[in-house]
Amino acid sequence: MIKLTVNGIEHSLDVEGDTPLLWVVRDYLDLKGSKFGCGAGLCGACTMHLNGNPIRTCITPVSAVAGQAITTIEGIGTPDSLSTVQQAWVEHNVPQCGYCQSGQIMSATALLATNSKPSDQDIDNAMSGNICRCGTYPRIKAAIHTAASNLSTTSNAKNELFTNIMEVK
Amino acid sequence: MTSLTTPANKSLTTTRRNFLKATSMGTGGLMMSIALPGCTTLKNGGISQAGNTEQWNSNAWLRIDSDNSIHFVLDRVEMGQGTYTGMTSLLAEELEVDPEKVQVSFAGVDSIYRNTIYGIQITGGSTSVASSWQIVREAGAATRIMLIKAAANTWNINEKDCIAENGRVINKASGHKNYDQQIPFGQLAAIAATYSVPSDIPLKDKADFKIIGKYNKRLDALKKATGTADYGIDTELPGMKYAVFTRAGRWDSQIKTFDASKIKNMPGIEQVFAVKTASAMGIAIVAKSYWQARKAQQQLTVKWHESELNNVDDASIFAQYKSDLAADSGKNVRSEGDFDDALENAIQTITAEFEMPFLAHSTLEPQNCVAWAKPDGLEIWAPTQSPDMAQVAAAKATDYALSDVKINTTFIGGGFGRRINQDFVAEAAAISEISQQPIKLIWSREEDTQRDWYRPSSYHKLSATIDKNGDISGWNHQMAGSGVFDYFVADAAPAQYPFMPKFMFGLLENAGKMGEGIIAPADGSIYEGAEAIPYDFANINVDYKKSDSGILVGNWRSVGYSHNGFITETFIDQLAQLPSIRAQKKDSYQFRYDLLKNHPRAQAVLKLAAEKANWGTPLAGCTQGISIHKSFGTWVAEVADVKIENNTIKVKRVVCAVDCGQVINPDMVIAQMEGGINFALTAALYGEITIKEGIPQQTNFHDYQLLRMNEAPQIDVHIIDSDEKPTGVGEPGVPPLAAAVANAISAKTGQRFYKLPLKLDA
Repeated sequence: MIKLTVNGIEHSLDVEGDTPLLWVVRDYLDLKGSKFGCGAGLCGACTMHLNGNPIRTCITPVSAVAGQAITTIEGIGTPDSLSTVQQAWVEHNVPQCGYCQSGQIMSATALLATNSKPSDQDIDNAMSGNICRCGTYPRIKAAIHTAASNLSTTSNAKNELFTNIMEVK
Repeated sequence: MTSLTTPANKSLTTTRRNFLKATSMGTGGLMMSIALPGCTTLKNGGISQAGNTEQWNSNAWLRIDSDNSIHFVLDRVEMGQGTYTGMTSLLAEELEVDPEKVQVSFAGVDSIYRNTIYGIQITGGSTSVASSWQIVREAGAATRIMLIKAAANTWNINEKDCIAENGRVINKASGHKNYDQQIPFGQLAAIAATYSVPSDIPLKDKADFKIIGKYNKRLDALKKATGTADYGIDTELPGMKYAVFTRAGRWDSQIKTFDASKIKNMPGIEQVFAVKTASAMGIAIVAKSYWQARKAQQQLTVKWHESELNNVDDASIFAQYKSDLAADSGKNVRSEGDFDDALENAIQTITAEFEMPFLAHSTLEPQNCVAWAKPDGLEIWAPTQSPDMAQVAAAKATDYALSDVKINTTFIGGGFGRRINQDFVAEAAAISEISQQPIKLIWSREEDTQRDWYRPSSYHKLSATIDKNGDISGWNHQMAGSGVFDYFVADAAPAQYPFMPKFMFGLLENAGKMGEGIIAPADGSIYEGAEAIPYDFANINVDYKKSDSGILVGNWRSVGYSHNGFITETFIDQLAQLPSIRAQKKDSYQFRYDLLKNHPRAQAVLKLAAEKANWGTPLAGCTQGISIHKSFGTWVAEVADVKIENNTIKVKRVVCAVDCGQVINPDMVIAQMEGGINFALTAALYGEITIKEGIPQQTNFHDYQLLRMNEAPQIDVHIIDSDEKPTGVGEPGVPPLAAAVANAISAKTGQRFYKLPLKLDA
């Protein structure tokens, strides 16, 4: 049995340890927002947070993250309770096919959690691991700037970036 | 968005107005459906009832329930191009509702949902809005008229004193904003359903539009920003298993032997068996989880027979194109004046040869399909651009009759034409039938890249003649390459005749191939855009020689325009640099502008792009290139500001002007131009699938690179205000881009480009 804490909820799973975290989250926990794109850590569609840092979960064996805190797009917000980043995404009509956007939002959220006023260069550096085949890059960049300007400067910012995580016990 | 050759002889207009039908529902709702007289449907087994000219279909477009909910069946798939928003906006405009209040679902297979341009149910060719512009609005307008009538009868007042607004009918006679006198649509639906559809359905004038041309929201953005949009790969069924499928490197290879002894006892493995479909033979592994199946695949050994493709590589393919074209110039697709005459009288002739590569689609959602073979039927959930072709493919791959195959469509993680070919559906159907349980087939990225239906490679030979005045007197463009039609007709032809028994499918395929250009649309996948060269030359000749490479090919966002936009617009740029043209004090902008004198819309687009880009005044350190191309009825001009840094091409800015007729959603047009430009920039900088011993060599994003954010230019889009009927936007942003970038580099270094991707001279 492998223990995982996903979006603040603890799970015990009977799964082979070399199974990538992505497939555990998608098919065992039925959280389908994180996507499979390349299986090689090249496109970022599978991005989740591990202890707050963005990781490529298609190449991360679940055994390597046992007992640690995982955040998925479902932990960022819901249609009824959008995070600041998600609000900006909707405002800028960012998605086209939308398949990469969960991963894009995970990377953008991780960036803003550590750098609340990123420059264009900061955004390029943080986001260039996430491919968008539809080419929505100009809007992603604009949406990150909008989200940054909408974020509170107070300690409340974290709640605005993550609206759907259970308090970790 | 995406990708089909547009048949020139098919009109965009439809005359289905008389076939709208209102039906009341037991729950007190109203359903608007469309009937085609004398047509056959899958539902009744394709039997056309004698004497009955109308067969009402219960699976139709618009439903208003008594609880005020409005349901709209979207008959074009949403793969990023914005049909979900655009089509809903058309409906909402005439119905007088908030587009956000409309609940959208994806259509199953039915002849009523056929694309009026292609005769099959397909999302491609940038046609969704163009082919639905009239009929969807009419459905909305007719419904509104009937709801108003219902309210007027309820209040016993004149219909003229009623208006529909925001999902309700208001009694204007009682004072416009008097909320005592209003009835929500839902409460009127039951009454309205008893009326017949009005024979005269006036549509709104442009001046009265509230949504069309103004609405700027994207209806699926909320789902896609929260990970709650369901794509094909997200489909879950009770008891579902996961399958992976091992194919040969050469698509036509057959299995000699395979050894699954190492994997049969691996965890979770349930079944291993051979499967053959129309385009693949291979070994399926069915397991409890995806990872178990994928891991086991590494332990599988398969020996393949040699195939006809064993000795095929890029060099042999291009040698074949050249020798085929030299032996026979093929079909003449444009002839004006007499090019030979121009050649004879020329004082100079400029020639160039172009070689265009195979390109992969690389949809970010890999090919996948869920299939459930049940005793009484086969049900499919697939991210497909053509549900009725998927139905044919699934039936062909199994023992099920066509009418026993049900197709469900989903959100699509990128199409770009890839999902017009239904191989992934055929595979899943066959695997589920053998496995006798519901399965989800997921392709790896490597499988997706190596087993694509590529944009065909092609060879082009161009000549331009200069007359004694120094002007261009003649233009000759000859080309060779595979036609994509041959590679999807097998599923497309039977989809048009769903009442034909399965044993006739092969006959239909052959009839379709032989009837290409006669009963089926002409296949312009190599020459489209080239034959329509818009410049005012007295003598023009364009020939296409079909020369099949044997490599799987398909529609790739903007199809033939994708390469012809580059070829014609770099060659014209080369001509603009000729001393005789320079002597006329024309730069590459003015040269084009003057030669476009018969195309005022093109001139306006070119001028707007040049003005907005400050043509002649590049960004710091950059040079500029310009290009214009018409595809899918839409003119697009692009100006690229390009810099060379460390011998690397850096595109700093692209300014784009577009004339796509009446705009439905301006922001969606801008988004499609942005996306098309970045999609095309990937191809211009990186795109190339190479073939060795019949096997595509690229596998994943490390060797088939896609543009990333740090490489993406600033993009400024400007839309021409137009009252013309709407034309495509999903693809037309693509064709001009590579030429604009290449021309900018040429302006800096003098290097000319005859191949893609763009590679700088050392």
